[in-house]
Amino acid sequence: MSEPFKQRRRERIDRGVKVRSASIYALNSLEEIGYLLAPRMLLTCCFLFMPLALSPWPYWGRVGLSVCILALLSISFDFLANYVGLVSLGGAFFYGIGGYISAICNTEFGLPPFLAILVATILGAMICTIALLPCLPLRGIYFAIVTLMYPLLMIRLIEAFDILGGTEGFRGIDGFNSFWTEQYGLVLGLLVALFALRRFVNTDAGLVVRAVKDNDQSVRASGISVTRTKAKAVFLASLTGCFAGAYYIHMYSNVGISSFALDLSIMPIAATIIGGSGTLVGPVIGAAILVPLSELLRDFGSLRIVVYALVLTGFVVFRSEGLMNFLTRKYQQIERWVDIR
Amino acid sequence: MLEASGVMVFYENMLALNNIDLNCPDNGVIGIFGANSAGKSTLMYALSGIILDIQHKEKMRGGERISLFGEIRHNGEAITGLKAHQRAQRGIVLCPERRRLFPESSVFENLAIGGHLATRAQARETMAFVMELFPALKKLTRRAAGFLSGGEQQMVAIGRALMAQPKVLLLDEPLLGLAPSIQHIVVESIPQIRKERNISVIVTEQYARPVIPYVDYAYIIENGSAVMEGTSRELFENPDIKAAYFGCG
Repeated sequence: MSEPFKQRRRERIDRGVKVRSASIYALNSLEEIGYLLAPRMLLTCCFLFMPLALSPWPYWGRVGLSVCILALLSISFDFLANYVGLVSLGGAFFYGIGGYISAICNTEFGLPPFLAILVATILGAMICTIALLPCLPLRGIYFAIVTLMYPLLMIRLIEAFDILGGTEGFRGIDGFNSFWTEQYGLVLGLLVALFALRRFVNTDAGLVVRAVKDNDQSVRASGISVTRTKAKAVFLASLTGCFAGAYYIHMYSNVGISSFALDLSIMPIAATIIGGSGTLVGPVIGAAILVPLSELLRDFGSLRIVVYALVLTGFVVFRSEGLMNFLTRKYQQIERWVDIR
Repeated sequence: MLEASGVMVFYENMLALNNIDLNCPDNGVIGIFGANSAGKSTLMYALSGIILDIQHKEKMRGGERISLFGEIRHNGEAITGLKAHQRAQRGIVLCPERRRLFPESSVFENLAIGGHLATRAQARETMAFVMELFPALKKLTRRAAGFLSGGEQQMVAIGRALMAQPKVLLLDEPLLGLAPSIQHIVVESIPQIRKERNISVIVTEQYARPVIPYVDYAYIIENGSAVMEGTSRELFENPDIKAAYFGCG
């Protein structure tokens, strides 16, 4: 009863609903609208319900906010690295600048928290963009090294000249008036940043930004200023980073040189790799895995770094595409065996 | 003797090579002709084993799934599962399309890297042979390979492949982007390599005319399938082939 030997191949093909919903006719059927909206709504709802679900446990509520903070920094990293081609290790720079400006606005000028955050986000992004302007012609490892230096430089400057509150930092910054405003302010900020950047990379201006990553000489030959394009992109990324920093200091009512800590530059890379680089949503998922994981492992003391490193190494070695790319493929395609010949 | 039977390569669901049978005798020169996207480079990757590396990288990246079927034999032994470096150790060496030199290393260093598999005496002897084959390189040995002209780079690439002491040399589009006068020099080296190194050469090209006089046997590939094969004379006398690959009606 032996079957004749046949060679088979595992075929991947797009789901019918995916193909149908790729066209404008997607709006004709509920099924296709649902197919397009389901993943987006799932993510949005998860984040909108998170504060409600976590409200009985204030500690885990704070962990949820830490997820959002890391997610914002990771989106900023992913956008710069995978859409603009600037591998930035300066997440802590954006974060710290945003934090300090918001602290000054609040303590010196008496602005209420949300107004201070708004000012810090925009003004901070401008300062970061101007500070990074000289490094924009650099690429690859050079840009990474220079951006890595910025937060370290800030720490030393603050220590040496005893400016901006010196090693003490600022204390007594106004917090948010309730648990709910604190939670929803950040969650909404994250969702807006995520969907705005996703939209941006598909607009005409976003296409130019992505072209700079692919081949900057061709972009130059098309009569577009590469440095100006990069500066705009850095501004968008630092908006996200500064917002995260500014928000965080109002949660804990103080700011210090730890806002420029190296962790804040490195952790987003880990989140991006786990979540899937070049997807923007991936880093959010990566952050949602990494932060709770590191909280759960707190009991193990310094061993948690080992577990953490193992998870990261495992992802890099075995699934370097990241979770989001994997999930997208499963959602959009089916696999089946087909005979050849 | 290098044989391929029933080689099929799928890039995801696209059939890049369809059931290719190929036979390269010892000390023979085989031509593979086809238009862009016919599958010439894929065939060279399949023969040299580079395709396994591409397959692995795509898999890790979550990109296209590459499926391989068929068998490749060298001197009667199946080498289908061997990786590119193992095949190179057996003497199947690829000189890749667009040369892929080490641009920051000098010509001498490029050749020396190619000679990693050779003994010291072999390397010295092959180096002398390459300089004799392409006298233009003699003055350039200290120059960084990235600053050479296209023709000189191609010469270095062929030299680098020869340094690995091949028994079967795979030349993927050696004439790409070269001026006719330089094409002539490169093509002329093929019979010389065959005669003095006593090895087989498999050469791919889009435009068959400059290469065909030096080829014993040739395959025409279209859309991944070998649509015709024959000695160079047989192909040259076929009117359809003549119009499509020799540029004369």
